[in-house]
Amino acid sequence: MKARSSRFGPADRRGMASVAVLLFAMVAVLVIMANFKLNYAVSMSGDAFDSFNSQTVEKNGIAQIVKESLLAVGETAPAASPNTVQTEIQDRLGSMTFPAGVSVSLSSADTPPSNGFFPFAAPAAASEPAYFSSAPRGLAGMGGLLTSLAMQGPVADLGRYNYLFGRASARAPGESWTYAVAADLFSVPLTNVDVVAYGLPSSGTVPSQAPAVPPGTFGSGVSTLVVTSNNPANDPTAYPDLYAPQGGTEVLPYQFRNAASFSWNAYEYLWNHTYQDGLLAAAQAEADPGNQPASGADPTPPHGAVYDFSVPAFDPGNPGSYPCNPTISGVTVSGNSLTIDCSQVQSQVIAIVDSEGAGHVTIDGTTGTGNPFILLVRNTAGGLGKTQVTFAGDNGRPAIYYLENSNVAFSGDPAVAGALFFDPTTVASGTVSWTGHFSFYGNASPLGTLAISINDSLAVKEALAPLAPRVLLVSTTATRQ
Amino acid sequence: MTPNSSIRRRGGFSLIEGLGGLLLFALMMGALTYAAAGLFKFQAHPQVSFQGQTYSLAPSFGDFRQAVDLHTRFTQSVDQADSVLVLGGQRSHPTLDPNGPSTTLSESFGDTLLAAAEDSDPFQGYSSWDQRELNTVQFAPYLSASSDPADFTILTVQGLSRVTSVTQQRRYTATVNQQASVFYEVTYQAYDWSSGVAVPVDNAVTGTTPTAFYRIYYAADEDTWAQRPGATHFWYRTDSTWNRDQEGPSRVVFADPYVLAGQDPAAPVSSVSRFVYFLSQLR
Repeated sequence: MKARSSRFGPADRRGMASVAVLLFAMVAVLVIMANFKLNYAVSMSGDAFDSFNSQTVEKNGIAQIVKESLLAVGETAPAASPNTVQTEIQDRLGSMTFPAGVSVSLSSADTPPSNGFFPFAAPAAASEPAYFSSAPRGLAGMGGLLTSLAMQGPVADLGRYNYLFGRASARAPGESWTYAVAADLFSVPLTNVDVVAYGLPSSGTVPSQAPAVPPGTFGSGVSTLVVTSNNPANDPTAYPDLYAPQGGTEVLPYQFRNAASFSWNAYEYLWNHTYQDGLLAAAQAEADPGNQPASGADPTPPHGAVYDFSVPAFDPGNPGSYPCNPTISGVTVSGNSLTIDCSQVQSQVIAIVDSEGAGHVTIDGTTGTGNPFILLVRNTAGGLGKTQVTFAGDNGRPAIYYLENSNVAFSGDPAVAGALFFDPTTVASGTVSWTGHFSFYGNASPLGTLAISINDSLAVKEALAPLAPRVLLVSTTATRQ
Repeated sequence: MTPNSSIRRRGGFSLIEGLGGLLLFALMMGALTYAAAGLFKFQAHPQVSFQGQTYSLAPSFGDFRQAVDLHTRFTQSVDQADSVLVLGGQRSHPTLDPNGPSTTLSESFGDTLLAAAEDSDPFQGYSSWDQRELNTVQFAPYLSASSDPADFTILTVQGLSRVTSVTQQRRYTATVNQQASVFYEVTYQAYDWSSGVAVPVDNAVTGTTPTAFYRIYYAADEDTWAQRPGATHFWYRTDSTWNRDQEGPSRVVFADPYVLAGQDPAAPVSSVSRFVYFLSQLR
């Protein structure tokens, strides 16, 4: 039997096989290309998302540069930068490292207002802020780190200022655009926070840990502030979760930036000679109604509201005998004992200077009200002695008391309204119910000897706002245009 | 006359041609099968129905696109928030709940105003734990009793009261089609406050809520990760005396639809999700 021969010749069979292989190859290439495109699409999507994230970080980093530049020139601190905010921004931009081929430059910048406050400038009017409001401008969207401090009482809205940055990308022209940074500035009275255990990072130390607080010290709704070390070895309340020293130095996380402005830098300024001298100058410039009028026997009587224990008191029987202290409304003197009758005080600032540590100041309260005033007790005696300061009787007239190197006592467990600032060397004892602000050096807490109960009061904060030192709060928001 | 030429003249393939063709054919078929299988696996993304929702087998390109959309929206919500609340996960409180998993809000949670926060002291708002306490009456009906370690709820808030988005991750385990499987569901619901009241934002494709979502599943033995999906809270300190419950950023790991989590559980390197965040509570 003869085998049936194929009708396809060898060349035909090779051709068909080649076509089949070609067909398979084409399909395979198509499948591989489809697979490649799919993976490429995933890669591109992932890259786009990564770019989106990194550009969000870049955008927020520029917003932070603007914030820090504004604080550099306007923060309430002993040394503010003499540069313009534009220069500060340029300096910070210059130290940044952007991706290869990317540059960011400042295109335009508003000049921010100064954060002026008493006694150097008339402070901006303060009002109660709101979260969601058109007038006054709502704070929602400015960040919880701002609102946590801005919502404590009346604040002055200094307005919104704009900063434009050009971003240029040499490698990807499509990624060249403009960043617009809006900076919202608020001037916040330091007295808005009810209790501050402050630190002095430059002239002293910062609290290693929060002071112990006896029960009953903080009343309902009292806001408190202390910024301590995040090193668990220093502060037993700290956890090691996020403690990361750099080069042996602890770096405070940025979360604490605004709190440090309030509880560290502002107090460096407050106890610095510039501010203290400013208050003295303001007291000296007072046209106190109690001052002796000029007369023939006393042509240039001392004026103002500064009383210096190292200078004799005014002698009515011997007018024109200089030097002597002025007579001041509400202030009576007997030897080294000075009494302030809060119901009779007329000046906005009264300063008591005690360079020998020999004075005793008694503050007689009043149940009435009146304009707020400042009482500065400036003791420069150092180790020679502290000025004895006694609060006697309830006092409903709000006042700001700056007490330096004093020994403070409270007579009759009084209830007092106002702001009580202790310098690092002031000590206190007794019992008092205080409505308003109280601050003391965190590493020299008086709470072991002083039984003080603090109460929150919006009315007191509002009364003190025109005279209180202010802290600049800044919130920056960046958008891509 | 050479032997080769005599063979070729006899017709058909030479031995070398035959072997080469066979080898080429085998290679092409192998490549084709491998590529086609890969393509079908990634693109056809087998789906199953679980608890009334459709889940795609990971890795899934379709869900990856949805994930990129969700995370872009989520990132923008976080960027514009005054504060971020992370509920669920480990260490929601260093001493009171160090291990977790902490309870999350159920997926039916849709409140857009945090009632207690409006009048509360903002100094107490430094942690999600405090916010949970402040809003306990509001949250209590929605707190789930037994959360999975991968579960979390993230609220972005403006001011101290307006919830601008709710993002949820849930992990379920179940046997589907005779296979033990792990299901991840991620949803993002935005709220538009431009009119003064909260209006839920619909999904651009489906026209319904949630605004964005993706749902994926793995074989149970593949659910191994270098960083497990879920939330971990980190703290600076707790100090009730000075109202300093200071929570730091929370690490939040979302499931990644285009990562085959533990394809080889014995592999020395596990997969890492690309959707990992450090979320600060106050911003």
